[in-house]
Amino acid sequence: MTSVLPGEVVHAQHVNLKLGPGLLQEASVDKENVIISTRAGDLKHTANNRQWWVESNSWRYIPAPQESVVGTVIARSGEGYRVDIGSAHMASLDGLAFEGATKRNRPNLKVGSLVYARVSLAHKDMEPELECFDAQTHKAEGFGELKGGFVVRCSLKMSRLLLDPNYFLLPFLGSKFPLDAAIGVNGRVWLNSQDPRHVIAAARCIEKLDPAGENVGEEGLKHFLATLDI
Amino acid sequence: MSRLEGRKNEQLRTTHIKYEGLDRVDGSARFGFGETESLASVSGPIEVRPNSESPSQATLEVHIRPLAAIAGTDSKALSATLKSILIPALLLSQHPRTLVQIVGQALCGSESGAGYGSAGRGWHASLVASLINACSAALVNASSVPMKGVVCAVAIGRLRDPSSSLSSPTLVLDPSEAELSRLVGGGCFAFMFSSTLSKPLQSDADVPSSSLLWTNYTAMGGAFGDAEFEEARQLAENGATLVWQSFKDSLQNGQVSRPATELKKKALDEEPVDDEKMEI
Repeated sequence: MTSVLPGEVVHAQHVNLKLGPGLLQEASVDKENVIISTRAGDLKHTANNRQWWVESNSWRYIPAPQESVVGTVIARSGEGYRVDIGSAHMASLDGLAFEGATKRNRPNLKVGSLVYARVSLAHKDMEPELECFDAQTHKAEGFGELKGGFVVRCSLKMSRLLLDPNYFLLPFLGSKFPLDAAIGVNGRVWLNSQDPRHVIAAARCIEKLDPAGENVGEEGLKHFLATLDI
Repeated sequence: MSRLEGRKNEQLRTTHIKYEGLDRVDGSARFGFGETESLASVSGPIEVRPNSESPSQATLEVHIRPLAAIAGTDSKALSATLKSILIPALLLSQHPRTLVQIVGQALCGSESGAGYGSAGRGWHASLVASLINACSAALVNASSVPMKGVVCAVAIGRLRDPSSSLSSPTLVLDPSEAELSRLVGGGCFAFMFSSTLSKPLQSDADVPSSSLLWTNYTAMGGAFGDAEFEEARQLAENGATLVWQSFKDSLQNGQVSRPATELKKKALDEEPVDDEKMEI
C-alpha cells in the first residue's frame, strides 16, 4: 500500500489504462506525458493493473453522476426545488423528477425537507441536477422524500464504508434494533427508528467509527455500544 | 562560527506536522520548526460571492492572522504573497465559480521587530516558512482541491563574523528566534515539488523535481552577489526537501515529529519519532 503526495509521479503502464479519481495525465515542461496524483492518499490499482486510482478521505463532496445523495430542500424555484447536497453549488431537483409525477400530480416538498436523490448531471461548469427515480427503471427504488428521522454528518470515506455490503456496522446495529438508514455518498446519513435512543446510538456509532474522527475500530465500537443504554 | 544549541549550519530544527481535524473546515494542519509554529485551515470548493467568482476557475482567498491583535497591513501583504505562492500548486480550473478559502494563523511571534525583509514586524522568515508549510499541509489534508504539487518552504539566515568584515557571510538553515538578533539578513524560500516540472532526476529519485517559487532574501548593510544567492538557494532547496519528506511521513501516521536529520537519504525502515507537542 503506497501513499502518495500530490504531484508525485505514478508509474502506471497498461495498453488500455484507465485513470480513476485522484490521478491526472499532465504534460511536463519537457513535453513528456507523466501521470501524477492530484491528492494525498493510498495509491491503488486493479489486479490486472488496468485501473488506477488514489483513495483518500475528505469532508467536501464533489458531485459526480449516478451517485446517491441525501439533500435538504432549501428553496422552491419555479417548477422545481433547490437542494443543498454539500457541494459548492446548490443542486436543482425538477418537480416532475419523481416516480409517477405528472403536471397535476406532483409531490409537494416543503423547505427543510430531506430527499434521497440520484445525481443525474454533474459538470464542473453547471450546477448539479438531481432525480428521484432510478435511471433504468424510472421507478422510485428508495429515492424520494425522507420523512422523519435524523441526518448525521460523516466523512466521505465513512459513507463509502457504510455502503460497502461487507462492512459490519449496519447489520450489527440491525441485529440490536430495527433501523432505517439512507446513506448518501455526500457524507450525510439519514437514520430513523421507533425509539430516539436507538437513533442517537446509531449516530454516535457512526461518529466513533469515522476514519477522520475517532476511528475506534470494530472492537472499540462493540465496547462502546455495550456502555450505552439500549 | 557556531550556532546556538550546537546545530550545524545545514541542520533543521525538529519539524512537526499535526492534522488538527478542526470543526467546520474541510482540512486543517499545524506545522512547526521547533517552537516556530503556524496553523492553517482550508475550506473548498465552496460557494463563492458573485462579485469574486471567476467563470473558468476557482477563486483562492487567503486570510492571515498574527498571534496577537488584528490583521494589519503586513498580514494583508503576506496574504497576497501566499496567494501567489499557492496558486501554481493548485488545479483551480477543475472547479470554476467556486471558492477555496485558506486561513493561516501564526502561533508564535513577537512585536520586538525581529524579522527582516518585506514581510514586516513579527513575521520573521522561519515563521513565514512555517505558515507556508501549514497552508500546504492543510491543502493536503483537505484532499478536495486537486493539486499538482506540494509547496515547501524554509528560512535561511545570514551570519557575519563581527571580527572580520571582509569575510563572506555564513548561511544557516532555519534560524531560531534566539538566533534572530545575530543575523544580518536572510529570508524565506518557497519551493514547489512536482513531477510536472522538468529537471534531470537527482540521485534521490523518490523526491519530485522542485522549482523556486518565491523568496524574500535580503542582506543588511551591503549587497549580495549571485554566488551567495545561489548558495542560499541550494541550502534552502536541501532543507525544503527534508520538509517534503516529513510531509510524506505524516501521511502514514496522521502526525509526525521529525528530528533534525543530516542531509543523507533516510533508511527505509527508520521510524519517525512522536514527541509530545507544546499546546498553545
